Amino acid sequence: MSDKNTPFFVGYLPSPGPLRWFLMTTIGLFIATFVSAGLFIGATQDAPMPSGFRFDYGPQTVTGVIELTPYPILRVTQGNELIQEGKTLMLAGQGKNGIDQRVMEADGQLRSITGIVLQRGTIDMLQVDGRARGVVDVEGTAPPMETVPLGRWSLAGEICDGKCLYGAMRPGTGLAHRACAALCLIGDVPPVFVSSQPIEGSDFMLITGPDGTVLPRAAYDFIGQFVSLEGDLERRGDVMILRIDPQTMELTAG
Amino acid sequence: MDQAEIILMIVRIWGVIGAVVALGFLTFGIDQVDEDAQDAYVFRPLIVPGILLIWPIVIWRWFVLATGRDHWPNRYHTRRRNHHWVGMLMPIAIIVILATGWSVRQTWPAHIAPVQLSAPQEPTQ
Amino acid sequence: MSVKYIPVQWNQNKWIYDAVMLIGVVAFLYIFLFVTPDILSHDYRINPQVHNARAFGACAFLMLTVILCIGPLARIDKRFLPLLYNRRHFGVMTTFVALSHASYIINWYFAFARSDKYEALLFANTSYTQIAGFPFEVFGVFALTTLLILAATSHDFWLKFLTPPVWKRLHSLIYVAYVAIVAHVSLGILQDQQNHVFSFIFMAGALLVAGLHAYAAWWQWRGGDSRGTVRDGWLTVGNIGEIEDGLAKIKVLPNGDRVAVFNQAGKLSAISNACAHQNGPLGEGRILDCLVTCPWHGFQYNVTDGRSPAPFTEMVPTFNLRLRGADIEVHTDPNPPGTYVEPVPLPQLQPVETLA
Repeated sequence: MSDKNTPFFVGYLPSPGPLRWFLMTTIGLFIATFVSAGLFIGATQDAPMPSGFRFDYGPQTVTGVIELTPYPILRVTQGNELIQEGKTLMLAGQGKNGIDQRVMEADGQLRSITGIVLQRGTIDMLQVDGRARGVVDVEGTAPPMETVPLGRWSLAGEICDGKCLYGAMRPGTGLAHRACAALCLIGDVPPVFVSSQPIEGSDFMLITGPDGTVLPRAAYDFIGQFVSLEGDLERRGDVMILRIDPQTMELTAG
Repeated sequence: MDQAEIILMIVRIWGVIGAVVALGFLTFGIDQVDEDAQDAYVFRPLIVPGILLIWPIVIWRWFVLATGRDHWPNRYHTRRRNHHWVGMLMPIAIIVILATGWSVRQTWPAHIAPVQLSAPQEPTQ
Repeated sequence: MSVKYIPVQWNQNKWIYDAVMLIGVVAFLYIFLFVTPDILSHDYRINPQVHNARAFGACAFLMLTVILCIGPLARIDKRFLPLLYNRRHFGVMTTFVALSHASYIINWYFAFARSDKYEALLFANTSYTQIAGFPFEVFGVFALTTLLILAATSHDFWLKFLTPPVWKRLHSLIYVAYVAIVAHVSLGILQDQQNHVFSFIFMAGALLVAGLHAYAAWWQWRGGDSRGTVRDGWLTVGNIGEIEDGLAKIKVLPNGDRVAVFNQAGKLSAISNACAHQNGPLGEGRILDCLVTCPWHGFQYNVTDGRSPAPFTEMVPTFNLRLRGADIEVHTDPNPPGTYVEPVPLPQLQPVETLA
């Protein structure tokens, strides 16, 4: 049973006097909660990794040898001011797509590639222009390119899609970004492994399945998580390639 | 057709049926079942999204009301006691989920160093 | 409450309610969207789409947390009832904020691929067997769908059409949706947080909702309305001196429904405790201007016949009453809504002081 001393509020009538102060205080608290929550949540977001598109450099055109790992890379033989000869670039298409279809027949051949640089410290990826000028045939014989095997390694780190790791999205790693990374990998954007500690000065490597296959589906269950795995490592120019053994993938503890 | 396409197809079909039900209900059904809706037209577009979403319940209630099957005491069987269950189950669920989410959180394995397990084979060209 | 439906009924208190709510939400979003990027001043800024998605997502969570605190607070302390009065507008607003969050995410994380973005939402991550890495998006989809259903059925037409008990049951889905949102955040962004300010605010909010609901349920259970003893179809309500003028005593009937016995100027009348509008507890209301007034939304009824004054048409069942010595008894079978029952006059009691 209610008692007569409690003020009784009726929506379509003015609030009873004693209730007004209570309601004013509640309104004040309500607005203060929203103002401070907006400020504190907004202003304490983690900083994304320093990486991103470099549209400010403009489109870059370089020539080199296409190699299919099976994800396409370009071993630059004729560079420009920004991208020197001897550099190796991972190649991605626009959106969440690779450029496999456009370079399918080009393994070991010379191509001129135009695209926008994605930079994360060093420049290691190019988003290839979607128009015809993106991939152009080049006359001439491709020089032989060296692949340096580095043996079998055990590593820990995170499986990501190369484009987002390189700042196409910020943040572009982690579990909140997992579905987006999976979509990129389904679209054949080169997958990348970020190692907990650098090997030969590099903390990331292009990853593939065993024996030159695409990333196995089993690896998709580990995207954005911290895993340890084993695989065969090799160096092509300044990019390392890890051919992972899917049987060895497991989550790191803690 | 993969599963995602099938699910989206079902959603679209659900919406199309809902639109047909909405058209029928708002043009003549509503006047039949609710006297307060007679000659009131401005509010009807507001009802459309609800019909699109829960049209099976709309058809059921329409049938019950139009055929005089509505049993008046049912309108006054309050559900307040259901809050006992909410007050018990919701806190448990929230605590379990928060604890689970927190327990599966990983930290970056900075302490794990790469290890070479075996030496490379002969270099290839 | 009107005879003819109109899109939205406004009055001064609803304007104030909506204005306060809008000020809070706009302040949150403005600060998050336009003030915090400069405070953060990251060298490489968070993508605007992700920043916006976070702003709207966090805002929707906060709004729903506040909404879910209103119910238990109003049970514990009646002074919070005004917050309940226009809660539906708050819910509809939350739905729009949550929709904005979803659309930023879908048009960013699920766009730019060869496949349709809504299909991508369903197939991009299918690791349903693991906890970390679980497709937490499905929890968000479920919660958003629920919010959409609730917002779309918030008009008073739906209450009358579905009946209040069905409507209430449908709208109880909000509790499941809130749990889903807690899972959505716990298995999503919380996994990646390095700075734990958000984690703390999120967990405090979720635990506050959990705690208040548990406390309100316990409070209600401890001090709730009691069951009366029944003899030959008559239920004992209490003693004739118990009910103050203008107020009621509530008793639980054998079938679980409640009856409210009012004292209006020395005469007793019994009506259903469930308001015809939203089944609000009429017995916790007051008699104002000779009409029982519901504490939730102010619907009014004549206590003798359970009818709303013209032009309104709402009705509640009435109950037959009798006095048996000093006991008030009510018949357990309700009369059809709107049935007139002659009020039972209370015998003139001797004031206690004069007896001494």
